[in-house]
Amino acid sequence: MKKLLSFVLALTLCLTAISWAGAADVPAEEVNLVFYVMGDAPKDEAAVEDAINAILKEKFNTTIDFQFSTWTDFNLKYNNTLISAGADLIYVANWENYGLNATSGAFLEMDELLDTYGKELKELCGEGMLNMCRVNGELYCIPNLWPEYVCLGIKYREDLRAKYDLPYPTTLENIEAYLKGIQAADPTQGLLRPTNTEAASSLSIGFDTAYVLAAKYAWVAPFGMPYGLTANYDTPADIQDYWFSDDFVEDCKMFKSWADQGFWSKSALSDTNDQEAYDNGLAVAEIAGMNPNKQITSANNFAKDHPEWESAYLAYGETTGVIYPGHATQNGTAILRSSKYPERCMMVLNYIMTDETMNRLVQCGIEGKHYQLDENGYYVNLDDSFPYEGFNTWNLRVNEFKLKQPTDVALQAMFDKYAELGSKTKWPNVNIWDGFTEDYTDYSAERAAVGNVLRQYLAPLQAGLVSDVDAAVAEFRDKVTAAGLEACREGFKEQWADYCAEYNYQ
Amino acid sequence: MKHRNQAGIGFTIGKGVLLTILSIICVLPFIVIISGSFTSNQEILRNGFSVLPRDVTAEAYRTIFKTPEDIFQAYKMNAYYTVIGTALGLMIITLTAYVISRREFKYRNTVSFLIYFTTIFGGGMIPWYLMYANVLNLRGTTLAIWFPALMTPFLVILMRTFIIGAVPDAVVESAKIDGAGHWRIFWQIVLPVLGPGLATVGLFQALGYWNDWYRSSMFSTSSQTWSLQFYLYDLVNSTQAMRQMAQYANVNTADLPTQSMKLAMSVVATGPILILYPFVQRYFVSGITVGAVKG
Repeated sequence: MKKLLSFVLALTLCLTAISWAGAADVPAEEVNLVFYVMGDAPKDEAAVEDAINAILKEKFNTTIDFQFSTWTDFNLKYNNTLISAGADLIYVANWENYGLNATSGAFLEMDELLDTYGKELKELCGEGMLNMCRVNGELYCIPNLWPEYVCLGIKYREDLRAKYDLPYPTTLENIEAYLKGIQAADPTQGLLRPTNTEAASSLSIGFDTAYVLAAKYAWVAPFGMPYGLTANYDTPADIQDYWFSDDFVEDCKMFKSWADQGFWSKSALSDTNDQEAYDNGLAVAEIAGMNPNKQITSANNFAKDHPEWESAYLAYGETTGVIYPGHATQNGTAILRSSKYPERCMMVLNYIMTDETMNRLVQCGIEGKHYQLDENGYYVNLDDSFPYEGFNTWNLRVNEFKLKQPTDVALQAMFDKYAELGSKTKWPNVNIWDGFTEDYTDYSAERAAVGNVLRQYLAPLQAGLVSDVDAAVAEFRDKVTAAGLEACREGFKEQWADYCAEYNYQ
Repeated sequence: MKHRNQAGIGFTIGKGVLLTILSIICVLPFIVIISGSFTSNQEILRNGFSVLPRDVTAEAYRTIFKTPEDIFQAYKMNAYYTVIGTALGLMIITLTAYVISRREFKYRNTVSFLIYFTTIFGGGMIPWYLMYANVLNLRGTTLAIWFPALMTPFLVILMRTFIIGAVPDAVVESAKIDGAGHWRIFWQIVLPVLGPGLATVGLFQALGYWNDWYRSSMFSTSSQTWSLQFYLYDLVNSTQAMRQMAQYANVNTADLPTQSMKLAMSVVATGPILILYPFVQRYFVSGITVGAVKG
C-alpha cells in the first residue's frame, strides 16, 4: 500500500514537473493587463489591440488593454489611476512627477523582475540608461530607447535673414539685430508673438520672452532654476542668486528696450496662445518652448503652403555650448505596485521593446492597413484612424525598430549636430536638470504665493511693459520676499544638493 | 398726471435700452462664434475675431463632417444619458420628496437632514472617485456616467417644498380615510398636481445631464461613451496639451484642429439645443419662479 502511495506521489510530482516545464513558456492563467498611457485613443484602437493580443495571447497567455488619460485633466486622472490601482503598466515621465511618485511607493522596484523576465531588455537599455531612472538607488521604470534632443532654441525665417543680410540670431545682440533689421526693411511685418502660455506654470520665469535667457547663460536649467536661483552647467552644485543680481536688472532693461522697439504687442500680457502665427507669416521667430521637432513641423507647413519661405532653427545651446539629450525619464514605463501580475507585465514589456515586429505593430499599427514602407523604407501612413505612434506610447520607442519618416532625416541631422556639441561638455551628453524632481510639499503654500507674484510682478518686467525698470524690480523683489521666497529656496537648495551629491555632479 | 406719464415713458425707454444692451452682450459671443466658424483660419489669425464673417468659407465644416460619426456618437450618448438620467432621477427624486414630505413619517427630519448635509459637506474628489472606480467597480461603464447624478439634494428639497405646497394635508387625509395607501395616494392624488414641479425638476435634471462632461472625463475608458460636452472639451484641450507636450517630447503637432474648426465644432454641438431652447424656456422660467417663491 505504502509502495503504491509513494508511486502515485512520485507520478504526480513528475506530472507536475512536466506541466511546469511546459508552462515556463506559456503561463497557465489567462491575464489581462491594463496599460495606462497619455492622450486620446486612436480611432482604430480595437483593431490594433486585437492584433497585438493575438500574439501576446499565444506567447504569454496575456492580453493588454490600452487605456487613455485623454488630454482633459490628465494630471488628475493620472494620479487617480495611481491611487485606485487602475492599471498594471503605466506611462511615466519627469513631467508627470516620476521621481515623486516613485518615492511615494506608486511603482514596483524592477531590478529583480528585469533579471528574471527581461534579460534582453536589460541588455538593450544598458546600465547607463537604467541608472538615470533610479530613484534613491532603486529602478522604477524602463526608459524609452530613442535618444532625442529637445533643446530649446529660436525658430526663425532664414529666407528673410538672407534677404536683408542680417546676422544669425545666435546671441541676444544678434536676435535683436535680426528683428530690428526686418522691422526696418518691412515695418508692417509682425515680429514676435510672445504670450505667457509656456511660462504659466513655471516658477523660474514670468513671461515667455525670458526663454531667450538660455542664449546668454550657460545654466544647468536652460532659463533658470525655480525661485530665481541658477547654477552653471559645469558647476551644478554651486547655486547662485539671479533675481537679486545685477544681471537680472540688466536683462529686464533689455526686455524693456525690445518691447519699446515694438518687437511685440503692448497687449502681449493678455494675448492668448497664438502659435500658428509663425506658420502663417505673422511672426518672424518663435523664441519660447521650441524644439527640433517643432522646427520640422513648421518647415513642413512652409513647404506645403509657402514654398518660398524657409524656417531654420538655432538651439540656444549652440551659442552657450551647453547642450544635452532628453533625460531618460522623459518617457518611460513603470509597473504599478498594486499590479497583481508584475511578472506578466515585465514579460510583455520585454517582448514589446525587444521584438521588432511587435514594437512596430504597437507603434505604427498593422502594416498594409495603417501604414506601409515606401521604396526608400520610409513610413507612409495609409489610414488616419491609426496615425504614427497612435497609442502615444513614446515610452516604447526603440531606436533600432523606430520606423523613419521622411522628416526624420532632417531631424536626425539636427540630433547628430547636437550630439557632437554635447559630447564636448563637461558631462558629455548628460541631461542633469531633468533628472531632478522637486518635492515641495513642505512649502507648497509659499510656493503658490511666489507663483502668484511671478505672474503679477515678474511677467510685466520680462514682457518689458513697465515704465521704470528699477522701481519695478525693487517692487518685485519686495513682493517675492514677502511671499516666502526664502522658505522655497531653502527647501529647493537642500534637495538639489542631495541630488548633485547622489549623482556626483559637483 | 403728465409728470407721471413722462416718468413712465422714461422708465420704459431706460428699461428697453438696458435690456437691449444686456441682450447684445448675451448674443454677441454666439454671433462671433458663428461668424468665426465661417471665416478662414488665416483671416482669424491675421485680424482676430469679428462680428461679420470675412473671407467666407465652409472649410471648417467640411473638415468636421468628413468623419461625422464621432459627433453623432457623442450626440447619441448625450441623449441617452439625458433621457435615462432625467427619467430615473425624476422618479427617485419625487418618491423621496413624497416620503419626507409626509408628517406621519417619524424620521423625516433625520432623513431630510442627511440629504441636506451632503450639500454642505462632500467627501472630496478622491473618495468619490474611489467609491465609483474601486468599490462599485463602475469605471468604464456608462452606468458610472449617469448613475452618480440621479439624485441632487437641492432638487429633492425643492420637490418636497413643492409637494407640501401643492397638496393640502386635508386631501391626503380624506384619501386615507377612503382607504388609499401611500402608493395610491402618490400616483393618483399627488402626482397629477405636480406638473409644474416635475417640469422644473426635470429641466434642471436634464440640463445638468446635457451639460455634464466631468463624469465622462473621470470614468470613460472609451471615446464611444463620451458625452458631447466632453468630446468638445477634450478636442480643445488636446490642441493645447499637444503643443505643450511637444516641448518635452518630439511629438507631431501638425494636424491639430484650427481656430475656425474649434468654432465650427461649438456650433455643431450647441446648435440643436439653441433651436430647441425657446420651446422649453417657458417651463424653465416658470419653474425657477415656482421654486423661488415656495422655497
